[in-house]
Amino acid sequence: MISFENITEGFELPSLKKEPITQLQLIRYAGASGDFNQIHTVPEYAKQAGLPGTIAHGMLSMGILAQMITNWVSPKQIKTYSVGFKGIAKPDDILTAKGFVKKKYENENGKFIECKVSVEDQNGEAKADGKVIIKF
Amino acid sequence: MLDSSYQGKSLGSYTFEIERGKIKELCLAIGDTNPLFFDKEYAQKEGYKDIPTPLTFPTVINFWGNPDIWNQMIKVGIDIKRLLHGKEEYEYLATLYPGDVVKGDTVVETMRSSTAMDMVTFKTTYTRGEEVVVIAKMTIVVPQGGEK
Repeated sequence: MISFENITEGFELPSLKKEPITQLQLIRYAGASGDFNQIHTVPEYAKQAGLPGTIAHGMLSMGILAQMITNWVSPKQIKTYSVGFKGIAKPDDILTAKGFVKKKYENENGKFIECKVSVEDQNGEAKADGKVIIKF
Repeated sequence: MLDSSYQGKSLGSYTFEIERGKIKELCLAIGDTNPLFFDKEYAQKEGYKDIPTPLTFPTVINFWGNPDIWNQMIKVGIDIKRLLHGKEEYEYLATLYPGDVVKGDTVVETMRSSTAMDMVTFKTTYTRGEEVVVIAKMTIVVPQGGEK
Protein backbone atom coordinates (compact mmCIF):
# COMPACT_ATOMS: atom_id res chain seq x y z
CA MET A 1 0.00 0.00 0.00
CA ILE A 2 1.33 3.40 -0.99
CA SER A 3 1.36 5.86 1.89
CA PHE A 4 0.78 9.58 1.52
CA GLU A 5 3.64 10.35 3.90
CA ASN A 6 6.21 8.55 1.74
CA ILE A 7 5.24 10.27 -1.52
CA THR A 8 7.17 13.33 -2.58
CA GLU A 9 6.50 15.79 -5.38
CA GLY A 10 8.36 14.60 -8.47
CA PHE A 11 7.98 10.93 -7.51
CA GLU A 12 7.66 8.81 -10.67
CA LEU A 13 4.83 6.30 -10.91
CA PRO A 14 5.89 2.80 -11.98
CA SER A 15 5.66 3.02 -15.78
CA LEU A 16 3.82 0.47 -17.90
CA LYS A 17 5.11 -0.72 -21.27
CA LYS A 18 2.49 -2.49 -23.35
CA GLU A 19 2.66 -5.16 -26.04
CA PRO A 20 2.40 -3.79 -29.61
CA ILE A 21 -1.14 -2.73 -30.57
CA THR A 22 -2.75 -5.21 -32.94
CA GLN A 23 -5.68 -4.87 -35.33
CA LEU A 24 -7.41 -7.61 -33.36
CA GLN A 25 -7.02 -5.57 -30.18
CA LEU A 26 -8.80 -2.62 -31.85
CA ILE A 27 -11.64 -4.93 -32.91
CA ARG A 28 -11.87 -6.22 -29.35
CA TYR A 29 -11.75 -2.68 -27.98
CA ALA A 30 -14.54 -1.63 -30.36
CA GLY A 31 -16.73 -4.46 -29.10
CA ALA A 32 -15.85 -3.88 -25.46
CA SER A 33 -16.42 -0.13 -25.50
CA GLY A 34 -19.23 -0.02 -28.05
CA ASP A 35 -17.36 2.58 -30.14
CA PHE A 36 -17.80 1.12 -33.61
CA ASN A 37 -16.41 4.07 -35.55
CA GLN A 38 -14.95 2.17 -38.50
CA ILE A 39 -11.75 4.24 -38.63
CA HIS A 40 -10.61 1.86 -35.87
CA THR A 41 -11.53 -1.41 -37.51
CA VAL A 42 -11.95 -1.20 -41.29
CA PRO A 43 -8.78 -0.19 -43.21
CA GLU A 44 -10.69 0.91 -46.38
CA TYR A 45 -12.97 3.14 -44.34
CA ALA A 46 -9.99 4.68 -42.51
CA LYS A 47 -8.29 5.43 -45.85
CA GLN A 48 -11.44 7.08 -47.18
CA ALA A 49 -11.37 9.27 -44.07
CA GLY A 50 -7.88 10.40 -45.06
CA LEU A 51 -5.92 8.23 -42.66
CA PRO A 52 -3.03 5.94 -43.61
CA GLY A 53 -4.92 3.01 -42.08
CA THR A 54 -6.85 2.10 -38.97
CA ILE A 55 -6.03 4.04 -35.82
CA ALA A 56 -6.44 3.13 -32.17
CA HIS A 57 -9.30 4.50 -30.11
CA GLY A 58 -8.10 7.43 -28.00
CA MET A 59 -9.94 5.75 -25.14
CA LEU A 60 -7.62 2.75 -25.46
CA SER A 61 -4.71 5.06 -24.59
CA MET A 62 -6.75 6.44 -21.69
CA GLY A 63 -7.46 2.88 -20.59
CA ILE A 64 -3.77 1.98 -20.69
CA LEU A 65 -2.98 5.03 -18.57
CA ALA A 66 -5.75 3.99 -16.19
CA GLN A 67 -4.18 0.53 -15.97
CA MET A 68 -0.91 2.10 -14.84
CA ILE A 69 -2.73 4.29 -12.30
CA THR A 70 -4.76 1.46 -10.73
CA ASN A 71 -1.72 -0.83 -10.68
CA TRP A 72 -0.32 1.79 -8.30
CA VAL A 73 -3.33 2.92 -6.23
CA SER A 74 -6.84 1.58 -5.67
CA PRO A 75 -9.61 2.78 -8.05
CA LYS A 76 -11.75 4.09 -5.18
CA GLN A 77 -8.99 6.59 -4.40
CA ILE A 78 -9.35 8.27 -7.79
CA LYS A 79 -11.40 11.47 -7.62
CA THR A 80 -10.87 12.95 -11.07
CA TYR A 81 -9.15 11.66 -14.18
CA SER A 82 -8.89 13.60 -17.42
CA VAL A 83 -6.95 13.06 -20.62
CA GLY A 84 -6.30 15.13 -23.73
CA PHE A 85 -5.56 13.26 -26.95
CA LYS A 86 -2.40 14.49 -28.68
CA GLY A 87 -1.51 12.00 -31.37
CA ILE A 88 -2.73 9.01 -33.28
CA ALA A 89 -1.68 5.51 -32.21
CA LYS A 90 -1.68 2.77 -34.83
CA PRO A 91 -1.35 -1.01 -34.96
CA ASP A 92 2.25 -2.10 -34.17
CA ASP A 93 2.86 0.95 -31.97
CA ILE A 94 4.32 0.07 -28.58
CA LEU A 95 2.80 2.36 -25.96
CA THR A 96 4.31 3.23 -22.61
CA ALA A 97 2.33 4.90 -19.84
CA LYS A 98 4.17 7.16 -17.41
CA GLY A 99 3.40 9.60 -14.66
CA PHE A 100 4.78 11.64 -11.81
CA VAL A 101 3.50 13.37 -8.71
CA LYS A 102 3.01 17.04 -9.52
CA LYS A 103 1.52 18.23 -6.26
CA LYS A 104 0.85 16.91 -2.79
CA TYR A 105 -1.68 18.75 -0.62
CA GLU A 106 -4.10 18.55 2.27
CA ASN A 107 -7.34 20.40 2.84
CA GLU A 108 -10.58 20.00 4.80
CA ASN A 109 -11.57 17.11 2.50
CA GLY A 110 -8.43 15.08 3.10
CA LYS A 111 -5.00 14.30 1.72
CA PHE A 112 -4.49 14.37 -2.02
CA ILE A 113 -1.88 14.06 -4.70
CA GLU A 114 -2.14 15.34 -8.24
CA CYS A 115 -0.26 13.36 -10.88
CA LYS A 116 0.58 14.19 -14.47
CA VAL A 117 0.28 11.15 -16.69
CA SER A 118 1.15 10.55 -20.33
CA VAL A 119 1.30 7.87 -22.98
CA GLU A 120 3.96 7.79 -25.68
CA ASP A 121 4.94 5.44 -28.47
CA GLN A 122 8.25 3.71 -29.23
CA ASN A 123 9.60 6.95 -30.77
CA GLY A 124 8.74 9.03 -27.73
CA GLU A 125 5.82 10.71 -29.53
CA ALA A 126 3.03 11.73 -27.13
CA LYS A 127 -0.39 10.16 -27.74
CA ALA A 128 -2.24 11.43 -24.71
CA ASP A 129 -1.58 13.30 -21.51
CA GLY A 130 -3.66 14.07 -18.51
CA LYS A 131 -4.13 14.58 -14.85
CA VAL A 132 -5.37 12.41 -12.03
CA ILE A 133 -6.30 13.39 -8.47
CA ILE A 134 -5.82 10.65 -5.90
CA LYS A 135 -7.16 10.72 -2.35
CA PHE A 136 -5.39 9.14 0.61
CA MET B 1 -21.54 22.99 -39.52
CA LEU B 2 -22.51 23.12 -35.87
CA ASP B 3 -26.09 23.95 -34.96
CA SER B 4 -25.51 26.33 -32.07
CA SER B 5 -29.16 26.08 -30.99
CA TYR B 6 -28.11 22.88 -29.19
CA GLN B 7 -25.80 24.78 -26.85
CA GLY B 8 -26.88 23.99 -23.28
CA LYS B 9 -29.63 21.62 -24.48
CA SER B 10 -30.35 18.16 -23.16
CA LEU B 11 -29.98 15.21 -25.53
CA GLY B 12 -32.09 12.99 -23.31
CA SER B 13 -31.28 10.10 -21.05
CA TYR B 14 -30.71 6.34 -21.11
CA THR B 15 -30.10 3.56 -18.63
CA PHE B 16 -27.48 0.83 -18.55
CA GLU B 17 -27.07 -2.13 -16.24
CA ILE B 18 -23.42 -2.77 -15.39
CA GLU B 19 -22.49 -6.33 -16.27
CA ARG B 20 -19.55 -8.32 -14.95
CA GLY B 21 -18.83 -9.57 -18.46
CA LYS B 22 -18.53 -6.03 -19.86
CA ILE B 23 -16.00 -5.16 -17.15
CA LYS B 24 -13.94 -8.23 -18.03
CA GLU B 25 -14.25 -7.55 -21.75
CA LEU B 26 -13.02 -3.95 -21.39
CA CYS B 27 -10.03 -5.06 -19.29
CA LEU B 28 -9.14 -7.83 -21.76
CA ALA B 29 -9.26 -5.37 -24.68
CA ILE B 30 -6.98 -2.94 -22.82
CA GLY B 31 -4.75 -5.76 -21.60
CA ASP B 32 -5.38 -4.83 -17.97
CA THR B 33 -4.87 -7.99 -15.93
CA ASN B 34 -5.43 -6.45 -12.48
CA PRO B 35 -7.27 -9.19 -10.49
CA LEU B 36 -9.36 -6.48 -8.84
CA PHE B 37 -11.46 -6.32 -12.04
CA PHE B 38 -11.81 -10.10 -12.46
CA ASP B 39 -11.88 -11.73 -9.04
CA LYS B 40 -14.69 -10.93 -6.60
CA GLU B 41 -12.93 -12.52 -3.61
CA TYR B 42 -9.76 -10.56 -4.31
CA ALA B 43 -11.78 -7.34 -4.64
CA GLN B 44 -13.51 -8.02 -1.32
CA LYS B 45 -10.13 -8.46 0.38
CA GLU B 46 -9.21 -5.06 -1.05
CA GLY B 47 -12.26 -3.47 0.60
CA TYR B 48 -14.77 -3.56 -2.26
CA LYS B 49 -18.15 -5.25 -2.14
CA ASP B 50 -17.60 -6.78 -5.59
CA ILE B 51 -15.30 -6.09 -8.54
CA PRO B 52 -15.35 -2.34 -9.18
CA THR B 53 -15.53 -0.81 -12.65
CA PRO B 54 -12.21 0.32 -14.17
CA LEU B 55 -11.57 4.05 -14.60
CA THR B 56 -12.60 4.24 -18.25
CA PHE B 57 -15.79 2.19 -17.83
CA PRO B 58 -18.04 5.26 -18.28
CA THR B 59 -17.19 5.07 -22.00
CA VAL B 60 -18.84 1.63 -22.10
CA ILE B 61 -21.97 3.06 -20.46
CA ASN B 62 -21.89 5.94 -22.92
CA PHE B 63 -21.68 3.86 -26.11
CA TRP B 64 -23.57 0.71 -25.11
CA GLY B 65 -26.16 2.61 -23.08
CA ASN B 66 -26.72 5.13 -25.84
CA PRO B 67 -26.21 3.58 -29.28
CA ASP B 68 -27.97 6.66 -30.71
CA ILE B 69 -24.85 8.72 -29.88
CA TRP B 70 -23.73 8.91 -33.53
CA ASN B 71 -27.10 10.27 -34.67
CA GLN B 72 -27.00 12.79 -31.84
CA MET B 73 -23.60 13.97 -33.03
CA ILE B 74 -24.90 14.33 -36.59
CA LYS B 75 -27.92 16.24 -35.25
CA VAL B 76 -25.75 18.87 -33.51
CA GLY B 77 -23.75 19.27 -36.72
CA ILE B 78 -20.64 17.16 -36.12
CA ASP B 79 -19.09 15.67 -39.27
CA ILE B 80 -18.70 12.17 -37.85
CA LYS B 81 -16.45 11.09 -40.73
CA ARG B 82 -13.77 13.52 -39.64
CA LEU B 83 -14.24 13.87 -35.91
CA LEU B 84 -11.41 13.49 -33.45
CA HIS B 85 -11.67 12.79 -29.77
CA GLY B 86 -10.14 15.84 -28.14
CA LYS B 87 -10.53 15.25 -24.45
CA GLU B 88 -12.24 12.96 -21.94
CA GLU B 89 -12.76 13.93 -18.30
CA TYR B 90 -14.22 11.99 -15.38
CA GLU B 91 -15.18 12.95 -11.87
CA TYR B 92 -15.88 9.90 -9.71
CA LEU B 93 -18.30 10.32 -6.82
CA ALA B 94 -18.98 6.66 -6.03
CA THR B 95 -17.70 3.19 -6.87
CA LEU B 96 -19.77 1.27 -9.43
CA TYR B 97 -20.37 -2.48 -9.31
CA PRO B 98 -21.90 -5.23 -11.46
CA GLY B 99 -25.69 -5.11 -11.18
CA ASP B 100 -25.84 -1.35 -10.68
CA VAL B 101 -28.34 0.34 -12.96
CA VAL B 102 -26.98 3.68 -14.05
CA LYS B 103 -28.88 6.47 -15.78
CA GLY B 104 -27.00 8.87 -18.04
CA ASP B 105 -28.27 12.38 -18.81
CA THR B 106 -26.37 14.18 -21.55
CA VAL B 107 -26.29 17.89 -22.27
CA VAL B 108 -24.37 19.80 -24.91
CA GLU B 109 -22.24 21.83 -22.55
CA THR B 110 -20.25 23.96 -24.99
CA MET B 111 -20.09 24.47 -28.74
CA ARG B 112 -17.38 26.49 -30.38
CA SER B 113 -16.47 27.16 -33.99
CA SER B 114 -13.29 28.81 -35.17
CA THR B 115 -11.48 29.01 -38.49
CA ALA B 116 -9.39 26.06 -37.33
CA MET B 117 -12.00 23.73 -35.86
CA ASP B 118 -15.41 22.93 -34.47
CA MET B 119 -15.42 21.82 -30.86
CA VAL B 120 -18.29 20.32 -28.87
CA THR B 121 -18.27 19.18 -25.25
CA PHE B 122 -20.94 16.73 -24.12
CA LYS B 123 -21.48 16.45 -20.39
CA THR B 124 -23.09 13.30 -19.06
CA THR B 125 -24.22 13.00 -15.47
CA TYR B 126 -24.56 9.39 -14.35
CA THR B 127 -26.85 8.58 -11.45
CA ARG B 128 -27.65 5.42 -9.50
CA GLY B 129 -31.07 6.06 -8.02
CA GLU B 130 -30.83 9.58 -6.63
CA GLU B 131 -27.05 9.49 -6.20
CA VAL B 132 -24.74 11.14 -8.73
CA VAL B 133 -21.97 8.60 -9.32
CA VAL B 134 -19.89 9.92 -12.23
CA ILE B 135 -19.75 13.15 -14.19
CA ALA B 136 -18.19 12.68 -17.62
CA LYS B 137 -17.22 15.19 -20.29
CA MET B 138 -16.35 14.22 -23.83
CA THR B 139 -14.90 16.83 -26.15
CA ILE B 140 -15.12 16.20 -29.87
CA VAL B 141 -13.06 18.19 -32.36
CA VAL B 142 -13.62 18.50 -36.11
CA PRO B 143 -10.79 20.23 -37.99
CA GLN B 144 -12.08 22.78 -40.52
CA GLY B 145 -11.47 22.74 -44.22
CA GLY B 146 -12.28 19.17 -45.06
CA GLU B 147 -15.82 19.60 -46.39
CA LYS B 148 -15.79 17.48 -49.52
